[in-house]
Order: sequence, then C-alpha cells, then structure tokens
Amino acid sequence: MTAESLAALIAECNRDGRAVTVRAGGTLSGMGYPPDPDALQLSMLDFDEIVEDAPADLTVAVQSGVRLRVLAQRLAAHSTHVPFDAPFANDATVGGTLSAGWLGPRRHLYGRPRDFVIGSVAVLADGTIARAGGMVVKNVAGYDMSRLYVGSFGTLAVLVQANLKTIALPEATRGFLMRLPEGTRARAISHMHALDVVPAAAFWIDGFKTLEGEDGIEGRLFVILEGSRAVVDRGTRELRAWMGRAGVPDTSVIDAGAREAFERIVDAYVASIGERSITYRIPAFHDDAIGRAMALQTLAQRFEFRTDVIVDAMNGDVIVRVSDLDAHALGAKIEIFDDALHDDEPEAIIIAGNHPSRAVLAVWGSAPDALPQMRALKERFDPKRILNPGRFVAGL
Amino acid sequence: MLAQRLIDALGADAVKMQPEDLAVYSFDAYTDGSAPSAVVLPASTNDVSAVVKIARECGEPIVPRGAGTGLCGGAVPIEGGIVISFARMNRILELDAARRRARVQPGVVNLGVSTAAAPFGLFYAPDPSSQKTSTIGGNVATNAGGPHCLSYGTTVNHVLGLEVVDEHGEVFKTSIDRPGYDLTAALVGSEGTLGIVTSAWIRLMKAPEAVRVWLATFPDVESASDAVSSIIAAGIVPTALEMMDAVMARAVEAAFHAGYPTDAGAVLLVEHAGFEDDMDAYEREIERIAKEHGATTWRAARSQAERDALWAGRKGAAGAMGRISPNYYLQDVCVRRSTLPKALHAVEEIAREYKLTVANVFHAGDGNLHPMLCYDKSNPKEVQAVVESGNAILETAIALGGTISGEHGIGYEKRDGMTRVYSTNDLATMARVRDVFDPQRRLNPEKLFPTGAQCAEVKPIV
Ligand SMILES: Cc1cc2nc3c(=O)[nH]c(=O)nc-3n(C[C@H](O)[C@H](O)[C@H](O)COP(=O)(O)OP(=O)(O)OC[C@H]3O[C@@H](n4cnc5c(N)ncnc54)[C@H](O)[C@@H]3O)c2cc1C
Repeated sequence: MTAESLAALIAECNRDGRAVTVRAGGTLSGMGYPPDPDALQLSMLDFDEIVEDAPADLTVAVQSGVRLRVLAQRLAAHSTHVPFDAPFANDATVGGTLSAGWLGPRRHLYGRPRDFVIGSVAVLADGTIARAGGMVVKNVAGYDMSRLYVGSFGTLAVLVQANLKTIALPEATRGFLMRLPEGTRARAISHMHALDVVPAAAFWIDGFKTLEGEDGIEGRLFVILEGSRAVVDRGTRELRAWMGRAGVPDTSVIDAGAREAFERIVDAYVASIGERSITYRIPAFHDDAIGRAMALQTLAQRFEFRTDVIVDAMNGDVIVRVSDLDAHALGAKIEIFDDALHDDEPEAIIIAGNHPSRAVLAVWGSAPDALPQMRALKERFDPKRILNPGRFVAGL
Repeated sequence: MLAQRLIDALGADAVKMQPEDLAVYSFDAYTDGSAPSAVVLPASTNDVSAVVKIARECGEPIVPRGAGTGLCGGAVPIEGGIVISFARMNRILELDAARRRARVQPGVVNLGVSTAAAPFGLFYAPDPSSQKTSTIGGNVATNAGGPHCLSYGTTVNHVLGLEVVDEHGEVFKTSIDRPGYDLTAALVGSEGTLGIVTSAWIRLMKAPEAVRVWLATFPDVESASDAVSSIIAAGIVPTALEMMDAVMARAVEAAFHAGYPTDAGAVLLVEHAGFEDDMDAYEREIERIAKEHGATTWRAARSQAERDALWAGRKGAAGAMGRISPNYYLQDVCVRRSTLPKALHAVEEIAREYKLTVANVFHAGDGNLHPMLCYDKSNPKEVQAVVESGNAILETAIALGGTISGEHGIGYEKRDGMTRVYSTNDLATMARVRDVFDPQRRLNPEKLFPTGAQCAEVKPIV
C-alpha cells in the first residue's frame, strides 16, 4: 500500500462518514476506549518499509508499520538506536508507539520518543497527504506538525512515515537485581537520582513474574547502567558501595541478558492476565512515586484486588496492575475502584486490560486543561470524526 | 480611545504611545518594520489577557516581543498593532531543584535561568549565542537552538508545559505529561502566531562532572567539514561541534585574542561534557578523526580559563564581524550533516559569484550553517548581491535536502521561502492549526506563512 492509496481510501471513508480504526501491532490495544465495532479496520502493517537509512547523518526514515525490533536490528548494524522502550518490540510498530504517545523508562536519559521525530508523512481525514519537517536534525520552518501527531492516538491524522534521529548504542549495559528490606525502600528509590552514574533505568517491582519466573516475590529493585565500559564499571562500584551502606542483603549482577531483562519489565507494563486485570499508569515524581504506589496498593487491598506494581524510579511513573480471580470478580468492583483511584490520582490513565468494563472507566484520567483547544483542533482536522472515533481523551 | 483603555487596564506607566517610544519597538535584530499603535508592558498574565481583549475590540493585531534579538523580523510590527513587551514579566516563579524544573515568566533572560540554577548544580541547556539578552518567551516562540543543542536538543526538548493567553484573552495551560494533543509542541516554534506565552515550565539538567574543550585547525573548510561529517558518522555526538572559516577566525582572533592560529583555513571547536572516565577515549577518537582529515594543529584546553578563552572567540563571533564589514547579513539554513562539505563549498561558490566576502561561523555538528554575507548598506549593488546570494544559499540548502531555517525562524524574512520547502497541502495543514488558534490572524500577522496565505491561497485542496 502507498500513502496515495491510503489517502484515497481515507478520503472515501470521509465522504461516506465511515469510521476508521487504525491498527498496527496491537501491543497497546489496552490503551484508550475500545474501538467502534462497526468501523473499518485499517491495518498499517503493510507500511513496513525502511524508506531511508542514513547512518552518516544519524537519521533514518521509516514507514509507520515498521516493527520496533526490525528497526532496532537495522540500526544496531551501525551501532545506533532509537530508544523508544515500548513493550513487545517484536510486534510493536513505530507508528503505533508514536501515535499512542508511549513514554519509556530511559527517556530521562535519552529523551522522549517525540524528541527523536524530525519529520513525518501523514494522511488527514479528508485524504490530504501532509509532509512536515525533513531529514535534518534542526528545523524551525513552520509548525512542528510531526510532534503534534505524536500522542494524538491517530485521531488527527494517520501517520504513514516518521523520520527519526538516531543515537549511538551504549558500549555496555549491566543489570542489577536486589531485594530491599522494607525500611530502606523509599530511601533506596530516591537515592537512584543522586548517583553520579545515573542509572539508565531503575525499577521498584512488586509482584509481576517478570524476571525470576516465580510468583509472589516481595519487592525488588532492578537497575540498568549504560554507557562506556569505564562508566558502567564506575557505576557498579558506586552502586555496590551504596548498597553495602544501606544494608541490602543480596545482589545479582546481570551482564548477559541485561537488555532482555529490561525488555521483559517494559513488556510487563501492558501485560494483561486474561480478562481479569486492569493496569493503571500514574505520572508521579521520583521523590513521591513509591509513596503513591503504596497508597494505591493499600486502596486495592481494600477492594481485595491483587496488585502488581512497577515504579520507574528515574521518571516517577507508577504502574499498578489490579486483578482478581476471574473477570466476573473484577467486573463487580472495578468501577467503584476506578472512581476511588481517580479521587486520589486524577491523572491516572489505563494502559492495559481486556475486561469489557474498560469502556466505562476513566481511561484517560481527568480532562486536560486545554480540552477546548484540543476539541477545536479535532474539529478542524477531522470534522466528521472518522479517525479512531470515541477512543481518545474526552471523545477527541 | 485605545490609549485610554490600555491605561485604564494596565496603568499609565505600562503603556507607551509617544512616537519616539514606539520607534524603538519597530525593529528587531533583522529589520525595521512599522511603528506600532501602542506598546504595553504587562506585569502579569491578567494584564496580558486584558490587553488582548482590548486589542480584539479595537481591531488591533498583537505582536509579542521578547528582547528583540530575533533575526527574522518576528517581533517587528508590519501593520501596526499593539506590541506586548515582556520586559516586566521577568521573574523566575518557581525553581524546584529536586524535580529539576523551573517555572519562569517569558521575560526572563535565558542566561538568568542557568545562573539561578547553578547553586543547585543544575543548568538550562538551550544556549543561543544571544543568551545574555534573549528571553525565554522569545526562545520558546522561535524554538531557539545554540551550540550545546547538538547533544541536549533545542528549546522544544526542554519545555515541559506552557501557560498561554489565546486570541480571546483567555488563559489555557499545556503539559507534555498529560494525554491529549501535544499543544506544547505546536506552540514552541510558532513565533507568536498561535498564542502568547505567559509562563513556561522548563527542564533543568544536572551539570556534568567533566567538560573538555578541544580546538583543531584545518588547512581549509572542506577538510574541516569532512572531519565533522566523519565524527557524526562515527556515532559521536559531542556536546558542541562548532566551526569557523578563515575569515571569521581571523576577525575573532583580532578582536578577542582567543588563541586561534591566524593562518588556519578553518577552526573546529569541540566540547564534550560527561564523565571524566570517558574523556581520554573521546579525546583520542576525535583527535584521530581530526588528524585523519588533515588537522594541522590540535589543542586541548587544560583549565577553565583556557576553555573560556576558546569559547569566548566563538561566542563573540557576531561582535567581531564589525572588523570585517560595516554590515552583514546572517543567513541560517540546515542541511543533512553528511552534506556539510558540499553545502559549504556551494556557499563559497555563491559568494565568489556575487563578489561578496562571506564569513562562516556555525553549529557544524547539526549541519546548521550561518554564512555571514558582508556588504555595505550604502552600496545598492552590494545590497542587491546580498539579497540574491542569500536566496541562492536557500536554494542550495533545499537542493541538498535541507531546510530554510535551522533555528532563527521564518518570521517576516523567510515567509515566502516556505513555499519552496513545503507543498500547498503541507502549508494548508499548518494553516489548519492557525485557524484553530487564530482564525482572524490577529496574533503576529504577516509572519511565518507566505504572503497571501492568510486568506485564500493556503486552503486545503479537497
Ligand atoms: C548575536 C545574536 C546571536 C544569536 N544566536 C542565536 C543562536 O545561537 N540560536 C538561535 O536560535 N537564535 C540566535 N539568535 C536569534 C535570537 O536571539 C533568537 O531567535 C531568540 O530566541 C529571540 O529571543 P528574543 O527574546 O530576543 O525574542 P524576540 O526577537 O523579541 O522575538 C522573537 C519571536 O518570538 C515572539 N515572542 C516573543 N515573546 C513571546 C511570547 N511571550 N509569546 C509568544 N511569542 C513571543 C516574537 O513575536 C517573535 O516572533 C541570535 C541573535 C543575535 C542577535
């Protein structure tokens, strides 16, 4: 499929007022309200071409259906990467990751996905093919349309191509897994920020069968150091010295497989347990994330939910998955729980969960301040509301 | 009538109406425009709202203005209107060192943020060469870059959210951390055409533990730009990678005694910040690449004072131009980094063809060229040659897959160049955003969009 044929198809839908659901890898299908069942299902997976690989410029242009793994492998051949850190990279696509506004754990170090986007090709609801930016790394000619499409959940335009800036792959990656005695948690997590060799990622994990393949393990801290060998070695010494002082009992160092372990944690962000779980993401800060996570665990316990928790200690994201014995048990309580959770955390959003009641939960949290402006933008770009209708924030 | 209403709303000392006062606001660092109908100096967001409402009722356009250092006529009134100067909204409202962020009013001078953050071991990364005078509001509106934006990214990478007064005078807030459309991204770089920024949340960064600065000289611009392209192609993105040609280097040396060899064909200034542990390896690698491409001298600054001396030359480059020429026109284009050698060669050819002296000092690592075309304003032939060669440079950049502005913006100067890089559809798509935020084209009119685009020309073809 080409941008032109896609444009023709979308234009036709627009004429007929027919809704279109844009799909790609399906890895983030737990985000947003459920799609309109009568909508035309548009798969972007045919847009799987690497349009231009320009290692000498440290840039690459890809069609939106390119899988993150495919892109990563291509870039690794010239020792570069684009650290999107989205779950299930084998299936996830560039376009899906960008459109969903995915925010990964290493962004505090490398930047957000949006900040790697230097150009785009998009198809608007009326079939207009619009280009923005280009293949240069600095460009202030006109509005930054590309960044505007990022995070718009496919409701302003269908992203067909993204031009990206790349960066060098780190020479070394090392993981650390440690159990933390209860009293040291909050201090340990806030300390991650104070290290000289700032971790690329640091997670407090409670529950989630992500690493050890065991269930019901008490909380643990997983840290990733990245950089030159010298820096990773120095960071290792620094981390060890600190752990010693804090009285952390045992630590395993993961050299081979550190990246895979990291990926498994990112996968866990959106891993659902059948139809009996819902996963929330709360934007906290590194210095209050653990407290807020624990408060939510307490809340969930009141509802007799089981919880699995990941706290991204570097960015402050809190991921809480609540689950029950079966879909019915979850369904009986989830609406009241959702209300109670949003009373405490109005900005919490739902990022995973296949339970049918997702449709009535506050999937996107409280409305953003600039909702009237966003509505007007939607109206100007997609007046017939054919692109992913009803799925995004406040019906955008 | 207008005057009285503004005075009633803001107080007499916040409104300027005298012709000699207005004249001061009729130009920026690029050009002269027309005198505004009034200049106001609001002290708060409420004041800005009040002004916008009055302007609306009186049919006056609004031109927001920071320090007026803009290089594309962005802050210049074209058809009169009310200039809103942020000179009094110059406070840092909040500095949260633990969370590494600050909330600042638009009139805060760029360097003031880093100065305030320094005691906490933090800094604000975007550093336009105008940072001692240009303001955060102006930086946000132009998405300003600077030498250190090579690895840290331009202004848009450092703005977390904005408070904005819209064309009705109503206030809205944006945040990059909330779901919904990324209005922050739309507003940054919108040159005052979508809304008036009344405060910004910005990101502060931890100061690096080690900084090194190296200086390499090359026999000519070609070899230096080959070296730049090779450094980038090797995956090395230093914190800054700046280049000067012979004309510039000599002028800078004469003005600042920065220690640049005066016989060099090109000077490359490289800075890397990060961990001390990495510095030697970095130094060896960059030195190797530089020498492979024919670097004739290589120096490493050994102290803060030496680092400052090497940078002083770069930072003062624009000031040193006065030694070369009574007037100069500063062009700003960005090309793919691998095409830097070609682009520079083309610039040289263009200058030769038009018999103009050109001096180059630029953000080489980004492919962001800044040829300075020297001329004498009193010589109409030279003025004409500068205009034509400036256009030729734009064409060259476009032909090399580049863009017509890397950091200075479109403003009034390059509005008609927009049709050379974007199709009608592309521009119409941008115009849709404008339609939403400023349907009447009252916010900084006659900027950014090509002439005529305000009405019929740039409408979507359906
Ligand atoms: C010597 C020199 C060196 C320079 N070096 C660099 C450089 O390295 N990198 C770079 O990017 N630029 C550079 N510039 C250009 C200029 O400094 C930047 O564009 C800067 O961001 C302008 O800031 P200002 O406060 O002077 O804004 P102004 O020139 O006053 O205004 C610039 C634009 O911003 C708009 N604006 C201002 N405030 C607001 C607001 N609150 N809300 C909405 N819109 C607003 C104006 O309407 C105008 O369109 C340089 C200029 C000079 C003279």
